[in-house]
Amino acid sequence: MALLTGWASFLVAVATIGCIYGLLTLGLNVHYGYTGLLNFGHVAFFAAGAYASAIVTMPPPSTVTNASYELWLNLPMPLGFPVSLAAAALVGGVLAFLIGLTSVRLGTHYLAIATFALAGVFSDVLVNEAWLTNGSFGMNSVPKPGRAGLTADEWQLAYLAFAALSLLVTYLVLERLVNAPFGRLLKGVRESEAAAKTLGKDTNAVKLKSFVIGGMIAGFAGGVYAHYLGSVVTAQFVPHVTFTVYAAMLLGGAASNTGAVVGAFLVVAFEESTRFITTLYNWIQSTLPDALSGVLPALFGPLPNNPSFIPSMRFVVIGVLFVLVIRYRPEGLFGDPAEIQALGEEED
Amino acid sequence: MSSNQSPADGNSGDAAASADLLEVDGVVKQFGGLVAVDGVSFGVEEASITGLIGPNGAGKSTLFNCITGVYDVDGGAVRLDGEEIQGLSPTKVARRGVGRTFQTPKTFRGMTVRENMAFAARHQTGERALGALLRPGTIREEEADVQARVDDTLEFLELDHLADDYASGLSGGQRKLLELGRVLMLDPEIIMLDEPVAGVNPSLTDDLLARLRELNDRGRTILFIEHDMDVVMENCDRVVVMHNGQTLASGPPDIVQDDERVVEAYLGGVDR
Amino acid sequence: MVFDNLLQTVVFGLIEGSVIAVGAVGLTLSYGVTRFINFAYGEFLTYGAYLTVFLAAGVFGMSLPLPVAAVVALVLVGLLGVAVSRVFFEPISDRGALPLLITSIGVSFILRNLLQGWVGVSAKQLPIPLLRRQEYFGIRLTHLELGVVVAGVVTMLLIHLLLQRTMLGKRMRATSGNRSLAEVAGIDTTDVIRQTWFISAAAGALSGVLYAVLFAPFRPGVGFEYLIVIFAATLLGGIGRPYGAMLGAFFIGLAMNFGSTYLSANYTRAYAFIILVGVLLVRPEGIRGGEF
Repeated sequence: MALLTGWASFLVAVATIGCIYGLLTLGLNVHYGYTGLLNFGHVAFFAAGAYASAIVTMPPPSTVTNASYELWLNLPMPLGFPVSLAAAALVGGVLAFLIGLTSVRLGTHYLAIATFALAGVFSDVLVNEAWLTNGSFGMNSVPKPGRAGLTADEWQLAYLAFAALSLLVTYLVLERLVNAPFGRLLKGVRESEAAAKTLGKDTNAVKLKSFVIGGMIAGFAGGVYAHYLGSVVTAQFVPHVTFTVYAAMLLGGAASNTGAVVGAFLVVAFEESTRFITTLYNWIQSTLPDALSGVLPALFGPLPNNPSFIPSMRFVVIGVLFVLVIRYRPEGLFGDPAEIQALGEEED
Repeated sequence: MSSNQSPADGNSGDAAASADLLEVDGVVKQFGGLVAVDGVSFGVEEASITGLIGPNGAGKSTLFNCITGVYDVDGGAVRLDGEEIQGLSPTKVARRGVGRTFQTPKTFRGMTVRENMAFAARHQTGERALGALLRPGTIREEEADVQARVDDTLEFLELDHLADDYASGLSGGQRKLLELGRVLMLDPEIIMLDEPVAGVNPSLTDDLLARLRELNDRGRTILFIEHDMDVVMENCDRVVVMHNGQTLASGPPDIVQDDERVVEAYLGGVDR
Repeated sequence: MVFDNLLQTVVFGLIEGSVIAVGAVGLTLSYGVTRFINFAYGEFLTYGAYLTVFLAAGVFGMSLPLPVAAVVALVLVGLLGVAVSRVFFEPISDRGALPLLITSIGVSFILRNLLQGWVGVSAKQLPIPLLRRQEYFGIRLTHLELGVVVAGVVTMLLIHLLLQRTMLGKRMRATSGNRSLAEVAGIDTTDVIRQTWFISAAAGALSGVLYAVLFAPFRPGVGFEYLIVIFAATLLGGIGRPYGAMLGAFFIGLAMNFGSTYLSANYTRAYAFIILVGVLLVRPEGIRGGEF
């Protein structure tokens, strides 16, 4: 019953976001790590799931400020919660199916561009179709399941437990899938489509299945995210999300589910902890003896003093992570070097 | 071995009511204005070893691609067991029972030898996502069968000591063997090999050819492309000679060998 | 009236097509010799626009006249392109296209966010006056819009001459056709690739400057967002084919402006992309990458 103090509350939040990114990374890993599909539009599936959850659970627009959406189901909590998450996974899967239909036949480069651009178009739709998404105001009254009967802290912990359980179940399901002949099928398609075809496998169907499974997981993650934050806004679903998930997957190790989860937690922990750089700076400054009080300002004074400096540097680090992992450790922390060295490159 | 008994088959116009498992009938393939395969016809008898020879650029590999659905043909027909298979996708051709290898092996480099082999097994329940999740018992049984076949086949090819190595670490010759092994796992009606011994070191070559003959002795039908006249003459029941996209001659090795057009075209082609 | 509107839409389409064409040709030139799609290419547009603003506004000590500032910016971005190539791409150039492509994502993050960390997210614009449109043969245009078209056409001509008439162009074509063969023929392909990076990045910067002239103001994300449009033009024309990229660009420019005028102005990027997907559906293997 103890109130979560600042640090504990922060850790709970990081862990919950970590679980959600863990789901996203597991989904992407099905695409890229196991099937070699260079999906650069992952955020679209995430967004689709989040909006699906919002639409099925939002109250009527008359009760919400700045509301112009025309579609809502107002499913009651907590019974509506599983329905909402199922809808999120379904919509993520359907979107993946539709994008996959147009794109999985394409070669690696074309697939990357097609998914990147389709995600861009999808985000234009989210911004512009206010009747469905409430435009850039967003859907800000997504119910938090079970919140009514709990204190704020209890709910945070309970939701973390739920998110962690979701992650665990997804992880176990995927482990089973990839260790079954299904996983072998995905990997063979990744390694050489031409060979897989001449061995009688329908590679386009395999890629489409992979796309849908990963899309469903990302959609599900979107649902978990929507009910956690209680609001869904277009600005949350930018291409940076896709590439942050890539960073997590590459760092953890492509084609490793364990790596995907660990990578996601590391990247989320890094991103969230940079919020405290200013606090840390002020704290150090306040503990320094007077004689040294000029040191820090002298060191950091030349840095630009704008509010986006630290958030930007966070993404610079993500970018550096891409470069370093690819150059020095393509298999990441948990990947198998023999498997990953040649990933995506067909033998010719 | 009268295998082709179905009277309902559509190709009644064929005078030579052959027992050919595979029939290549006037196949044409053009690239732009270039005619790579120009009306090639021949048959591959069931349970035979047939060699397809010809100088570089004769259109042999292109013909393989036409037979296996990698290329759409621009004319003619390919029949397997009397049924037309031209125009089918490579996947469907393979499912009909045509297994093939490539001139440069296309192994799954980021997978182990064992995984490469098991991949090719047909009708695996565990290849379906829901099957993989919901039917663990069935999968365990099927997988045990598959792995047993993998072990047998690897032993037969003398690759068993490499079973858990990644394909990326294999030598060129070993990759050719692995590709052959995958085709055997597919268990096709006809095995088509694109230069199975090219680039394989000589000590392994004889071994590989012995394996092919052994497979043939067990009733397998084999069609293979080869450059080396001697290899073809020594190992084949029938030989088909291609030149400039056309069939120059076909028949038993000793007869083809003495055909003057063959000697001229083929040796001429090699000398150049 | 309807006809006027139609004509005007065509003209705007061609103007924007010029901006796209410069970027698309630059991207396709570098693809031709490096064989991977550079997702950091959009940052060259961004840096071109920002450096021009800074040079003109005297951020670096003296303020240059706008055209001079733009030229200096092009050279600087060209050098940035060479530096990026040497630091990030050359060390892994033997590892195939996929690691290069993924690295380019990282590079785009680094470049974009360094700039954003430095200048912030607030919008900037070029110091150009708001101009009244003049009538030219019944078409209403500003001098600047006319200038954008001229700059686009001149760039296309220069690149045509570069490819067809200069030794560098011949070496670029040879390298693009078959790198190992080019090396056997005594061409220093590493050098050719660096020079191509310079030209490619400078073209990107020019595209960014032209964009800024047409659509001020802009933010650090401008190039990354416009990348979809440039990709669409590049792929439509057949990746690695400069002349195809030029055609593709004008086609995309027209499609975007027709869509915005007659359908909805909210989906300009979508029109570019729907055309691209349509083409890819007809030819699912993608439009074959070619030589110059």
